[in-house]
Amino acid sequence: MRPAVNQTLKRKLAHTLDLPPVILLDQATIHLMGDAEAKIINHKGLVQYTGACIKARSTQGMIEVIGNGMEIVSFSSSEIRIAGKIRQVMLK
Amino acid sequence: MTVRLRGPGLERLLNNMVERDILLQGVQRLTGDVMIIRLKVKDFYRLRPLLWGTQINVSILDKHGAPFLFGRFRLRVFLAVGLMLSLLFVMYLSNFIWFIEVTGNQTLPIEALKATVEELGLRTGVVRSTIEPSTIEGELLKRFPILAWAQVRIKGVKVDIFLTERDGVEQQHAGPGHVYAATDGVVTEILVLRGTAQVRDGSTVRKGDLLISGEYYDARGQKQFGAAQGVVKARVWYEGIGEEALSRWDPLPTGIRHRQYAITIGSITIPIGPSYPRETHLQSEKKWHLSLGRALVPLSLGRIDYHEVEYIKALIPREEAEEKAYDLAWESLLEQGVRKEQVLKERQTVDFMADGDGIRVEVLVEVLDDIGLFLMH
Repeated sequence: MRPAVNQTLKRKLAHTLDLPPVILLDQATIHLMGDAEAKIINHKGLVQYTGACIKARSTQGMIEVIGNGMEIVSFSSSEIRIAGKIRQVMLK
Repeated sequence: MTVRLRGPGLERLLNNMVERDILLQGVQRLTGDVMIIRLKVKDFYRLRPLLWGTQINVSILDKHGAPFLFGRFRLRVFLAVGLMLSLLFVMYLSNFIWFIEVTGNQTLPIEALKATVEELGLRTGVVRSTIEPSTIEGELLKRFPILAWAQVRIKGVKVDIFLTERDGVEQQHAGPGHVYAATDGVVTEILVLRGTAQVRDGSTVRKGDLLISGEYYDARGQKQFGAAQGVVKARVWYEGIGEEALSRWDPLPTGIRHRQYAITIGSITIPIGPSYPRETHLQSEKKWHLSLGRALVPLSLGRIDYHEVEYIKALIPREEAEEKAYDLAWESLLEQGVRKEQVLKERQTVDFMADGDGIRVEVLVEVLDDIGLFLMH
């Protein structure tokens, strides 16, 4: 219950101060460059990695990238860069 | 370095690694329990404590990058020294001028230009910093009055000399002299700017005849001798001859090919493999030049393909041969300085050659031309 209250308060604060919610809510950002590259910023850990599916944890839930011949180009505590043929990006 | 991880729970290990600020690159999943990752050497040592208590094995697949390269050179001192020396040598060579290219000289002989620039200190092999482009430009303009503009530009190991020459009438005459006929013709118009006309409209002149004398009387009636100037237009006839065979030998490839390689070092070419005569083989050549950035290295590798051919006699239609001979005759006229737009009349005669295997076309053209040629006294 407590994290949910925190999130609601932060969202309201962001709205009041006219700040982007991403900053205060610690949310993940996903960038897609066509269907060949994806970048997940502010993830909370890698859950699954195969050539067809890459799953990463985030504050909003599980981010799932589905495609073919996918590969993690670089992986750091803040960012995962994925290359390959990307077909679907889901938030579960 | 590239390492292979084998075992269960590889994702958890990756998460642990990035939590400790280890950057992973090129993460590849080969099978369910095998991954290949690239990481820095210092991070590899930080990876070991994370493996304690797991069933994951780590093996090094490849070591690459600057630290390993320098480490290898530490063992091969002479190779490193050799590489450094050759790099220094190339850098040293790039301080010199190796190529000089002149563009824009239409009438000015290249030998005269070469002698002048060499006298001014510009020649292949001189140090680049010793060249003063503005001095050379000024001297060129001073020594060759025909030049209207000169630019010397240093581009790496090459010097480009761009020149523009003056047009005929604009040329400055250095001293007194006369205008003579540059060719035979019939004068149609004469315009004297300075001097005294020696011919009139309708006069027939031979090459070398005096057209405008540099001697004249000034406003006070005193005789003067200066540089004659003027335009003398005349009807001039030029003849161009072109010959073309009525048959030709066409090469027909037999399908047999031979290949030869050749290494060229400076002006020396070392062939690898036998050569074949040009009479029975067509050649196609490909060359690869070695270059290091701006510096050109005089080393190249060539590949020559010899295609064996047989020659078959083919007849050329008379019209085609006549057309080609006519074009050749006109090429000859163009070389004599005739421009097509100058032509007043054109006459053409066609003859078969004595052996009957060729055709000969004579083209006689009448043009209106300025035949005046100034010569200093």
